[in-house]
Amino acid sequence: MRNASETTRAAAPAAERTAGNRAARPPLLRDPRRLVGVGLLVALAVVVLVFPMTTSVGYLLSTGVVILNYALMATGWNFMGGFTGYISLGHAAYFGLGAYAVAILIDRTGMSPFLALALAPLVVVVIAIPVGVAALRVRGASFVIVTIAFVLILLLVAQSWASLTGGSTGLMVPRAFQGLMRTEHHQVFYYIYVAALVLALLVWWRIDRSRFGMGLKAVREDEDKARALGVPTFRAKLIAFAWSAFFTGLAGALYALWFGDLDPVFQFSILMGAYMVLMALLGGVRELFGPLLGAIVVGLAIEFFKAEFGDTQFHLVATGLLLALVVLFMPEGVIPAVKGLFARFGPQASSIREVSAQQLLDGTQDAPDDDAPVAPGGVGRVR
Amino acid sequence: MTATGTVTGGALTVRGLSKAFGGVRAVDDASVEFKPGRINAIIGPNGSGKTTFFNCVTGMIRADRGTVTLDGRDVSRATPDRIARLGLGRSFQVCRVFPRMTVMENMLVGVRSTAADLWRRADDEESLERARGWLRRVGIDHLEHSEARNISYGQQKLLELAGVLMAEPRIVMLDEPAGGVNPALIGRISALVRELNAEGRTFIVVEHNMDLVMSLSDHVVVFDRGRPIAEGAPAEVQTDPRVLEAYLGV
Repeated sequence: MRNASETTRAAAPAAERTAGNRAARPPLLRDPRRLVGVGLLVALAVVVLVFPMTTSVGYLLSTGVVILNYALMATGWNFMGGFTGYISLGHAAYFGLGAYAVAILIDRTGMSPFLALALAPLVVVVIAIPVGVAALRVRGASFVIVTIAFVLILLLVAQSWASLTGGSTGLMVPRAFQGLMRTEHHQVFYYIYVAALVLALLVWWRIDRSRFGMGLKAVREDEDKARALGVPTFRAKLIAFAWSAFFTGLAGALYALWFGDLDPVFQFSILMGAYMVLMALLGGVRELFGPLLGAIVVGLAIEFFKAEFGDTQFHLVATGLLLALVVLFMPEGVIPAVKGLFARFGPQASSIREVSAQQLLDGTQDAPDDDAPVAPGGVGRVR
Repeated sequence: MTATGTVTGGALTVRGLSKAFGGVRAVDDASVEFKPGRINAIIGPNGSGKTTFFNCVTGMIRADRGTVTLDGRDVSRATPDRIARLGLGRSFQVCRVFPRMTVMENMLVGVRSTAADLWRRADDEESLERARGWLRRVGIDHLEHSEARNISYGQQKLLELAGVLMAEPRIVMLDEPAGGVNPALIGRISALVRELNAEGRTFIVVEHNMDLVMSLSDHVVVFDRGRPIAEGAPAEVQTDPRVLEAYLGV
């Protein structure tokens, strides 16, 4: 009865709307925003790939590797922090586990470093899953504390279980590439890190646009509401957590092979976990390249302050200030802030529907556009 | 599939449901049967346990005792997301949308997905079309690209309903659909509920607006002190002395 008229009414505009977002997308060359995006991406890729060829200064190359290591860790962290909004301050646990896994696998089983590199992140995931099962039952501050507790436990284990981990004296990691000069060693690892980072970014990008990713983002927004809509939130969080541990563990494994010497205090440090959070927040946790950008900025800052002021605690003060500035002025991170700046010059979106008088008379338009006794966002507010 | 199509099933049976918070028995040995295809209303004074009952049935709160059966399947111990996937959708008392997502993204969260589909694009043509169908039906399809926090409260209310429907429920539980909404929109929501019910969806509505309850529902369940004290057609319930006593204390 009512339905018949309802469907015919709905059918008419359907055809024109089917075009939708994607089909109507203009070609790349005529879409300035996408053009800028692609241009920036190509420029970034060129800079990253060419950088090691432009210098043979060991210090510069090693700084490049350190920053890529930060970028891989922060991107790994962002699988959890960015998608689900669960802030882990203890992701150094997976960094450290990845590093120790590689070292112990090579040392104890005599396997090839490359096989160990492939296995180590999987070992980290196997350890991370039960931790996730426990930690993901709580939210907010409780979750943060559980993650910190896990790092501290691992630190104690690494320091005490000397027969396996070398204890406080640390552990030497056999070299993966024999007979390389120092600069060559840095260059090789630089490119391995780039490959790992590209892999992490690809997986993040794929999740970001998938149904799985939509469920994760719903968790970030309102977990109970997501569950009420049928999103299997616990499983989704656990899978995101596992990916997060995988890439953070991969960073640790690479670090072990590159640096060659593990110290438990460095591998399992709260500070390292805090850096990951800072980098991701600075760049923007909702952005694919947010953690990478944050790693470049924070990584360079840390290196600068260390070089300038030596082995003091000054770089800690500086990073603390940086964090405060970001939270105050760019709570969403640098990338959204810059995007927002550009969006001001773009076409404006409005929530007011324009209809002709004829449409109103015909009754083809009967939506209550202005119906708010309480309007938190304001009707027709222009973004 | 478009935003119509008939739905079958939708029977919900609750037996001996109890939930205490400390010493307060919010729901106390409640047994109700909701028959498929009806618009059921739950009414009762403030604090009579309606919302707790709602939350226990949808799995948001674990009941102390009692069973909940959804189309013959025991869901007493099931998680809220599983209950939702089995066909029971719900809205919240204070309207809840995903504020930082666009209206369209809000809709796409509800897309049913098998494990193999999880890596599919969230905004595939089929899902977009289905979402637009529902948005059109509730009348907010022009807001597709707006962030949900920037639309009006009434529009959010409609979005919440459309989002619930996107998940293809056989039973829709609405917690105060008329709360904080102007009369024109109340009329629109109740017309929608009637249409959706005519397509086979069972409704269970908690509501304080008596005019709405009496005009909309086929069956009214009256709660007082954590359990149903009367049920029946709206006209019967209205004159039931127990109901008058619970409401007016006469």
